[in-house]
Amino acid sequence: MATVEITNIEKYYGGYHALNDINVDIADGEFVVLVGPSGCGKSTLLQMIAGLETITGGELRIGGDVVNYLPPKQRDIAMVFQNYALYPHMTVGQNMGFSLRIRRDPADEIKAKVERAAKILNLDQLLDRFPRELSGGQRQRVAMGRAIVREPQVFLFDEPLSNLDAKLRLSMRTEIKELHQRLKTTTIYVTHDQDEAMTMADRIVVMNTGVVSQIGAPLDLYDRPANTFVAGFIGSPAMNFMDGTIQGGKFQAANGSSWALPSDAKVTEGQRCTFGVRPEFVEAGGDVAAKVIVTEPTGSETQIVADMGGEHFTCLFNERIAAQPGDTLKIGADPEKCHVFDIETGLRL
Amino acid sequence: MNASKSTRVIQIALQIALAAFVLLPFFWMISVSLKPATEPFAIPARLWPQDPTLENYVTAFRPEFRTYFVNSMIVSGASVVITVVLGLLAAYSFSRAQLLIITVLMGGVVLAQMFPHSAIIIPFYKMMRAADLLNTYASLIIAYVSVTLPVAVWMLRGFLLKLPVSLEEAAAIDGASPLRIFCEIVVPLARPGVIATAVYVLIVTWQEFLFALSFTSTKEMRTLPVGLNDFIGQYGIRYGELMASSVMVSMPVIAVFFFLQRYFVAGLTAGAVKG
Repeated sequence: MATVEITNIEKYYGGYHALNDINVDIADGEFVVLVGPSGCGKSTLLQMIAGLETITGGELRIGGDVVNYLPPKQRDIAMVFQNYALYPHMTVGQNMGFSLRIRRDPADEIKAKVERAAKILNLDQLLDRFPRELSGGQRQRVAMGRAIVREPQVFLFDEPLSNLDAKLRLSMRTEIKELHQRLKTTTIYVTHDQDEAMTMADRIVVMNTGVVSQIGAPLDLYDRPANTFVAGFIGSPAMNFMDGTIQGGKFQAANGSSWALPSDAKVTEGQRCTFGVRPEFVEAGGDVAAKVIVTEPTGSETQIVADMGGEHFTCLFNERIAAQPGDTLKIGADPEKCHVFDIETGLRL
Repeated sequence: MNASKSTRVIQIALQIALAAFVLLPFFWMISVSLKPATEPFAIPARLWPQDPTLENYVTAFRPEFRTYFVNSMIVSGASVVITVVLGLLAAYSFSRAQLLIITVLMGGVVLAQMFPHSAIIIPFYKMMRAADLLNTYASLIIAYVSVTLPVAVWMLRGFLLKLPVSLEEAAAIDGASPLRIFCEIVVPLARPGVIATAVYVLIVTWQEFLFALSFTSTKEMRTLPVGLNDFIGQYGIRYGELMASSVMVSMPVIAVFFFLQRYFVAGLTAGAVKG
């Protein structure tokens, strides 16, 4: 186990600035998720931590040691790849023991470690099989087994669940979380799925266009997003945004609606800003009128997409709402659960 | 339904006709090799000999033939090994290095393949003579490696491009050195490509005539294709023995191709479409 300190990390591909001044300190035993849309640089950062990409600038420390110029094998890390990257010509047991064989561990020790890891991951019956004979979930477990037999300082996961179907993804998510709780190894996990990030992470690093947008615990990001990007990225369905101005101590949206402000919002009269309301915090029976476009009942919830002054506005109710397209819905929201952002910079006010 | 059935019948008929067209010379070769000396030109001609005999095989399998066979084995075997090893190393570099010059170099590799053997044989001959390599195995092996390596690099590169780089990255993280990654991960996974390339080189070198005829001058150094010339004399051609020898010459390559053809076809098409 080890800390990982990422300080002023930069990455250039020729003239393209892929990562810009990345600073993240990861504590010993912490489970950190790097999340962001495609092309935000999260996988590049993970590859730099693994030693598979060169670091253009800044400093990377693992366990206190600078590892910028160390090859992957000297960083004492293990990585689980998106496509599993199992060696197709080796059995499950050989795949899991490959790193130990390279390390020249004694054969009986390798066998014991592989068997122990296989038992943890319910792979003990599959040790003689080849990867092609396994299901997607089993392959993913073998990839994890290959990582854990080495007892590395840091685990790196690069979108490990994106090749699995939705049901399996949920169960593997739990397995990875359980494994972390059992081994308590520092883990850096990359995903583009904010649900995965929210449910698995001790802390989330939200990245966008090569910069860190916000770092924090999942619920902190959800409750107090630092900017409109994080506010829109974290949470599903995504937050509703409206542009407008502060008038008479209220937010007056350009779409004609009017909303009470949260008490901690640092705004001034006449200031132009962006107002954010999460669909799940919209309440039926307020002052704001919205015309129903689509109703999507799921049984336990009802999602309604409504028209508000020509803009789409999503509402998620924990009850059954019998609204039809064309109906007018009166809605509102608890102001303390709403968010105000600077209209120019997108930063939280 | 009827239209599709008749289309199928026409397809099969055309396939049979094409197969017959391709296989008839082989059939004729076998037929003549089994005919007694008096029968090949008998009128009316017979597709199959009236009294099949192995006499031609017994005559053809003389000591010289065995020498030619051994020479061909040595030259082709060495050419296969050297071409595949060099080709693998070159193809691995060409498939993994992300440099613009790779495209230019690969173009150069294709260009090298475009010169017909007859155009390069004179410079080759002069070089072999200058190096005092004429009438040696080395002259043929060097020539064969030179002419087969470009295609080998292309075939192997197609295979290697299909191997996910993440396997090599995983091995690097597992602690493997670049050499170990190449030997333990890349080469085993490129096995179909290696087999396909080996079959290609074997077919080309086993039947090669021009270089073998030009670079060897004694019977002790002749290879099989040149050795077949022995049956073509000044006053006649000993067709029965010639065809018997041809059958024996063809057998090893046909056998190899028969067992490994799936790799060979895959090798020719590797990288042709995005996987």
